[in-house]
Amino acid sequence: MKWKNVLYNSFFIITILISYTASAQVPVDSTAADSALLKQIEQQMQATPQPAAQPSQQGRSGLSFNPDIGVIGDFQGSYISKGNKNFNAYLNETEVSLQATVDPYIRADFFLSFARDPETGKYGAEVEEGYLTSLSLPAKLQLKVGKFREAVGRINPTHPHALPFIDLPNAYVNYFGDEGLNDEGVSLSWLVPNKKFYQELVFQATSGQSESPTFFRGDNNRFIYLGHLKNFFTLSDNSTLELGLTGITGPNDSSRTTSIAAADLTYKWKPVQMNTYRSVTWQSEFYYGHANLLDNFSINSFGLYSFLQYQLAKRWFLTGRYDYAQKPYDKTIVEQAYSLTAGWYATEFSKIELEGKTTDINTESRFYQAWLRWIFVIGAHGAHQY
Amino acid sequence: MNKKLIIFLISLNIFAFANAGSIKVVTTLTDLKSITELIGGNKVSVSSIATGYQNPHFVDPKPSYIIGLSNADLFVTIGLDLEIGWSPQLLASSRNTKIQKGAPGYVDASAGIGLLQVPSSANRAEGDIHIYGNPHYWLDPLNGKVIARNIANGLERIDPSNKSTYEANLQAFYKKIDDKMREWQAKMAPFKGTKIIAYHNEWVYFETRFGLNIVDFMEPKPGIPPSPSQLVKVIKEIKADNIKVIISSPYFTTSSSDVVAKQTGVKELTLATSVGGFESVKNYFDLFDYDINQLTATLK
Repeated sequence: MKWKNVLYNSFFIITILISYTASAQVPVDSTAADSALLKQIEQQMQATPQPAAQPSQQGRSGLSFNPDIGVIGDFQGSYISKGNKNFNAYLNETEVSLQATVDPYIRADFFLSFARDPETGKYGAEVEEGYLTSLSLPAKLQLKVGKFREAVGRINPTHPHALPFIDLPNAYVNYFGDEGLNDEGVSLSWLVPNKKFYQELVFQATSGQSESPTFFRGDNNRFIYLGHLKNFFTLSDNSTLELGLTGITGPNDSSRTTSIAAADLTYKWKPVQMNTYRSVTWQSEFYYGHANLLDNFSINSFGLYSFLQYQLAKRWFLTGRYDYAQKPYDKTIVEQAYSLTAGWYATEFSKIELEGKTTDINTESRFYQAWLRWIFVIGAHGAHQY
Repeated sequence: MNKKLIIFLISLNIFAFANAGSIKVVTTLTDLKSITELIGGNKVSVSSIATGYQNPHFVDPKPSYIIGLSNADLFVTIGLDLEIGWSPQLLASSRNTKIQKGAPGYVDASAGIGLLQVPSSANRAEGDIHIYGNPHYWLDPLNGKVIARNIANGLERIDPSNKSTYEANLQAFYKKIDDKMREWQAKMAPFKGTKIIAYHNEWVYFETRFGLNIVDFMEPKPGIPPSPSQLVKVIKEIKADNIKVIISSPYFTTSSSDVVAKQTGVKELTLATSVGGFESVKNYFDLFDYDINQLTATLK
């Protein structure tokens, strides 16, 4: 009797399974219109005789939840006319990027940097950036939380390998260091509902733990605050103008306050039709620092850079830059520099650049520098810049 | 009492929305704009980010495009990573949840397309290849029907009340494609199997549909500018096969084709790859009218 029961039960289960699978094979959306689509696709597939409709390779095995992974190599050779160690060659940085959407609410971006410490010569790993970005906040708001390059003008948010020159402008390095203002905290940005031109307002509050020449987190609860207003104007189909205004304030190493006001102005000419062959960019940033160091003693300093980039041909770029910088701790020390960079962009995934620079500082004699760098990218296709 | 007020306010909102009249659509390319206009009729107002005469892979992600995207109800993309360098970041910056990937207002026009040149391995040594297949599929008019179906599905998702209008427009679009197809096929029939050279690998769907035979490209590999050795190779091929024409697109320079033309007497022909590529190409049908008229006139 028992085996009969088992047989009946199995038969029953199998019947259910078969009917279930059969019903699952019926297209869920089988409206007349959709079957018309299917018919067309079938006709089309029959009409193409060649191995036209190859089965898509993105089969089951091709799909995964792995993030987009990219690795960027930055190999450099350098020369400096002063000192005893004049020539050098090094893998300046290896950057690993991992990017994906986390869930319907946020996406995540990580940039891990493996770089040589110029002092010790040893390689170290650090999180260059690691943050989440909200995807569904209301009222045109977007939240960023984590460690990120802050919204100071045009250079600071850009990773150095994507800049059109190899060294950073003197004024920028004086205020923000070689790593830039790159700190941990929150960033809230608001897309201003302005239909005439693009306007974005960003507010950032960060802990001030990261290394910086200007700011220093003491044994207290004072943070770094930043506000940035980006205005972007379309002048014509082929030209645009961007004007950004930034204010930053935070504690310095005297446990007092340093504030920086910055402005950035970028004009771009890029003919829409031939935009891969010709372009001109003129970009400048101005920094004004006010450092309160003692009672009744503060230093105001100023710095700027301005570069003109000309695209000669599809693969060739020429960039000339002028730097002016007063030292934020002693405005009587003034640096002035001129540099010229030639870039050959082989593809979207590799470029070679050569830069020469001459620097005058009013406290020492003129010196010269040169760099050669090769940037190479594997993995995910990154976003283009504008 | 409060409940009633809320219901009243909600219904007022819906009423206001329904009366707003036009569904705001942003497309990446002008071809998608043209088809959306044909399907959406007076229910939609459509803008395209790219123009018809620019390289669709290298559109600059200008922040000004974000304004339109932030207010859009529907976003239509070619997909297959054609716009990977610019559209994902614009979409992410738009803060518009209605049109993000996976939302009802996101239309990937490539759904259901029979793809050509799907690579068996992903290796950038082969140049700018697209891992999902060649993305220039809108250059086959029959694929236009699939695109139109996808766009109609999107419009019906976000605006079901006008489904009958969209379906009627879709049927009219199908019919016009079928009618024009006969005309285009007839015009191209005498040139079946004709060998030609193309600048960039973006004509495979057009080539397959109309029976042309693209034997080589000016670019040695997709995205790599013409090299001297490639020009030599192309010149030899043109001479050996008596090739009559090199086809190119409005956004490539003609300097290398000029060299080849001088050496061989081959004709250079810049065809429209998208609606708006030339002033007379005002909609999706004009695109094929223009290209086929130009080609047949040159190949005669």
